[in-house]
Amino acid sequence: MSARPSGAGAEILEAADLRFGQVGIANVRVRSSDPAALRAAIEVRVREAPALFERAPVVVDLSFLSPQPGDDAVRALLDAVRGAGMLPVGLAYGDDATDGLSRRLGLPLIAKFRAQYERTERAASNDEAAPRVAASAQPAPSAPAGPVTALQHHQPVRTGQQVYAQGCDLVVVGAVANGAEVLADGNIHVYGALRGRAFAGALGDKGARIFCGEFRAEIVSIAGHYRVFEELPKEFAGKAVQIRLEQDKLQITRL
Amino acid sequence: MTETIVITSGKGGVGKTTTSASLATGLAQRGHKTAVIDFDVGLRNLDLIMGCERRVVYDFVNVIQNEATLKQALIRDKRHDNLYVLAASQTRDKDALTQEGVGRVLDELKQDGFDYIVCDSPAGIEKGAHLAMYFSDRAVVVVNPEVSSVRDSDRILGLLSSKTQRAEKGQGGGTQHLLLTRYNPVRVEAGEMMSVGDVEEILGIPVLGVIPESENVLAASNSGVPVIHDAGSIAGQAYADAVARLLGEDVAMRFLDAPKKGFFKRMFGT
Repeated sequence: MSARPSGAGAEILEAADLRFGQVGIANVRVRSSDPAALRAAIEVRVREAPALFERAPVVVDLSFLSPQPGDDAVRALLDAVRGAGMLPVGLAYGDDATDGLSRRLGLPLIAKFRAQYERTERAASNDEAAPRVAASAQPAPSAPAGPVTALQHHQPVRTGQQVYAQGCDLVVVGAVANGAEVLADGNIHVYGALRGRAFAGALGDKGARIFCGEFRAEIVSIAGHYRVFEELPKEFAGKAVQIRLEQDKLQITRL
Repeated sequence: MTETIVITSGKGGVGKTTTSASLATGLAQRGHKTAVIDFDVGLRNLDLIMGCERRVVYDFVNVIQNEATLKQALIRDKRHDNLYVLAASQTRDKDALTQEGVGRVLDELKQDGFDYIVCDSPAGIEKGAHLAMYFSDRAVVVVNPEVSSVRDSDRILGLLSSKTQRAEKGQGGGTQHLLLTRYNPVRVEAGEMMSVGDVEEILGIPVLGVIPESENVLAASNSGVPVIHDAGSIAGQAYADAVARLLGEDVAMRFLDAPKKGFFKRMFGT
């Protein structure tokens, strides 16, 4: 998509195009105001998954710190994140104080993350944890409040339909038709026939797997490694299989 | 209590209008007051199949745009006085239909005591098809036993469970039925055509009826007499069975098997 305001002359606008795209972005929930502790915690994550986190853009969420630290303290925290190898690109939306802080630091406020932590808090407080969208893309074991759930889909996924389980597993009770797409940041389980396309580990989780009751897929993909099935391998066609990534190669095995 | 049934398919040329005409006629034969509406504005055919094309004065679009009353536009069938046809307009395009207008016409039919309203959907998934399915309580998805028709039907089934008034109100997608047309058991046995079982397995909804391929269908269409009137033809009998099942009767499937080998040998003299 591009946006071109109508009033201005075309030659002025040629110097730049505005395009909108959607990007997945991790959210660092800061739970300690000690820069050294923060840096150590992030360094562990970057060491564990350098491909995913090194120089990864992140949104810094200060809402777990109360009271909110002063400008210099926040600068020190941002430096700690940078020092650990991630690139802070904005602050998660909090309250008026966060708003003022973001202006003084010259960082944008990313409003999307506010709703997420509010929902997580609510789920934790009244034990009603059934969000369609589970916690953020951050795989930190300490981060999510409450269990990571799966998105359950109880109807067949028909041709032309797309089902995406953001931040969690996807369970389809039924078939995925030719020309339908199922996506998940986690694993994908299809209890009927998988005739369409399945993309597991959509944000790059190489440990994600695809399970299906009857394998007839057009395309399968795990963490971006995909395979197109112009013809189904005879030994797997119509069988219950699991698909996983092993040394960057897709492996299909019978269940 | 009026029931609105949409006859739809996604793909063109699979027999939606033939099916609409025969199912509506069958419901009327069973004593139910029935209206059948052509939603294919711009390419109207239902009036031809129903044999009333010369009696179309006002059409569906005229009623929606308040240029005629519903009473003026409804055409009473020659054979059954409880069956009415609402023809599409030949000269307008599908934008002439509005959701509000269609809803109003259907409400008026309900107030007039109709038992069944059969909506003959145009092909495709655009406005006409959308409006034909939007107010439906049940859907009959017409499918030919071949892959592209099955694929399009799957798409339509997805829309039926999300883009109807019932679905938007959270009442579920309503009852969905499959109706296979142009079924040729000989070609199925030869592996050239998908079987009822294949289609049923892929689409995952119950089969209302299987209409065998028959030359009587074309003849019936050309003469403007819905094929269900032709009780001697297997297609006519299969439609009568489908109507019975639509009304909740338990009727065994017929015409699924190829004629016996002996008969064939006699025919082709091997």
